[in-house]
Amino acid sequence: MGAGTRRGLVFALAGLLAGPTGLTGCAGHSRSFAPIERCLATQRPADALVLLDAQKHAGRDRLLYLLNRAMLLRLTGDLAGSNAHFEQAKELIDALSALSVSEQAASFLVNDATRSYEGEPHEQVLLHMYAALNYLEEGRRDEARVEALQVDLRLRRLAERAPESPFRADPFARYLTGLLYEERGEWSDALIAYRKAFEAYRAHGERYPLAVPPALQADLLRLTARMGLSDEREGYRQAFGDVPTEGSPLEEGLGEVVFLLHSGLAPVKREESLVLPDPASGLLVSVSLPRYERRTRHAQRARVAAGDRTAYTELAHDIEAIALANHEALLPGITARALARAVAKFAAAKSVQKRNEAASVLLNLAAVLTERADTRSWLTLPAQIQVARVALEAGRHDVTLEVLGASDRVLCRQEFPGVRVEGGRRTYLSYHWPEP
Amino acid sequence: MRCTGRIARGLVWTTLLALCAAGCAPKVTRLDAGEVRDLSGAWNDTDSRLVSEEMVGDMLEGLWLRERAGSGRPAVIVGEIRNLSHEHISVSTFVADIERAVINSGRVEFVASRGERGEIREERKDQDLHASESTRKAMGQERGADFMLQGTINTIIDASGQTQVRYYQVDLTLLSMADNRKVWVGQKKIKKLVERSRLRS
Repeated sequence: MGAGTRRGLVFALAGLLAGPTGLTGCAGHSRSFAPIERCLATQRPADALVLLDAQKHAGRDRLLYLLNRAMLLRLTGDLAGSNAHFEQAKELIDALSALSVSEQAASFLVNDATRSYEGEPHEQVLLHMYAALNYLEEGRRDEARVEALQVDLRLRRLAERAPESPFRADPFARYLTGLLYEERGEWSDALIAYRKAFEAYRAHGERYPLAVPPALQADLLRLTARMGLSDEREGYRQAFGDVPTEGSPLEEGLGEVVFLLHSGLAPVKREESLVLPDPASGLLVSVSLPRYERRTRHAQRARVAAGDRTAYTELAHDIEAIALANHEALLPGITARALARAVAKFAAAKSVQKRNEAASVLLNLAAVLTERADTRSWLTLPAQIQVARVALEAGRHDVTLEVLGASDRVLCRQEFPGVRVEGGRRTYLSYHWPEP
Repeated sequence: MRCTGRIARGLVWTTLLALCAAGCAPKVTRLDAGEVRDLSGAWNDTDSRLVSEEMVGDMLEGLWLRERAGSGRPAVIVGEIRNLSHEHISVSTFVADIERAVINSGRVEFVASRGERGEIREERKDQDLHASESTRKAMGQERGADFMLQGTINTIIDASGQTQVRYYQVDLTLLSMADNRKVWVGQKKIKKLVERSRLRS
């Protein structure tokens, strides 16, 4: 093969792969999830489950399969089945925390997606939160408390692995665990959890728009007053301004409905590839990086009505913002690995070029074709979790939820008839609105 | 050239390791129920059995039982054993282990728990309608418990990297139904060091 022919062949392949702009969006893990997303958007989780089970799942993607299956089972109402999958996911995360030399080598030689998926830090924490919500919705409070303790362990472990990470603290997890402890009368544990939630909300709020939920502000003021921590209470009072500080409805014999709106779907990772020909050798250099893409979201908040009480949801967890900010923090490392891989693959092809041109072209093509971005993430997660808390008399109540869009236009209305509220207890209700 | 050789060797090793990790069918070996096998370091059947046997042994050696000598065997009921630990422990298995140890001691009587009583009462109601006079069991003849056993399972976990120290503490309290006195308090502690491998296949 002459030099001219070789260059012509490789440039033609480059054109085919790269397109006129040099950028391509290739199919990856996130693309294969599109049919499942369509089922979710039309509130057909059972169909989504069938589709998920029909797909082939590589061993390295088992964690994603378990997490997605657990979430879909939760959406179909099989809370026990959902938690059985979350338990398997936890065991797998622990097993994957050990280093695999073969996977590290493969990720350097092939691509990042050859590694077993361990879950992003916020996903690892949310796993416990959804398991806790499953238990709470089943009325198994002690089991939910176990998850609260496991969250603490998980966060400690994540902080140990990445002590500088701004996301080593999880505001929603701390807030929810505070609610659990307080309901059980474990005041000091509740206050510690609320304090940590407050600190985490402020730390996250420095990176993306997130405020300390007013209900948490009231919790902090109420509990510090109860425990006689007047200096700390004064500090919160100055930070929050005028927050209504009623007594605890639970201590007054009332019950409380904690309503969680899980709106939208978490952002999806897409692949962006850059394929460039090297004019000197005629070989191709390819780099693929993951990029987060936000999903369309119309829901702004929700109105929860029960009896003569109405409350609006407040943003408690912005999963979309956390995923984007976390990705931004990790991107320099991902890029450095991709560049190092591209250089190594190019050097390997070039080194055999003089002795065997055909082998060099094949090696180069294999290198380009195997260069893929890792677009894996837990795609059945919502984009946001919003919370509303409504104090109610003990008894049965019909609860109405209205998901509101811009200018409080009602996007969806859902009835929860005959919700049982116990005095001195919290009742947890959830509604997933993945957006049509 | 040297670089290519290294990459080629890396590829060969990666392929070999991947082949070793794949294709292993699960192997099942039957174990004796009494055999001790610690796998993950979590609370297991051995912990449940040993703790219940030792604690019930302590309870039956307590002063409260000696003081009642001569007034018949006391009736005990197991109340709530709360799991306040980091693990989803099967409390019902632990309660069953305690019940077995207490009943087999023969030194106290054991009455059915709240859930079990409900079913028996339903059956008695049914007998009232359908059973013959000679075999029918009358209402209001239940043996009331003299003491209730309550308890908690707690854990403290200290972890660093792949090493964990798991500390379990089981507290049981025997309460007099007549006057709420705590007549016996028992405690059992278990400490485990769990070291996970730093490498995997």
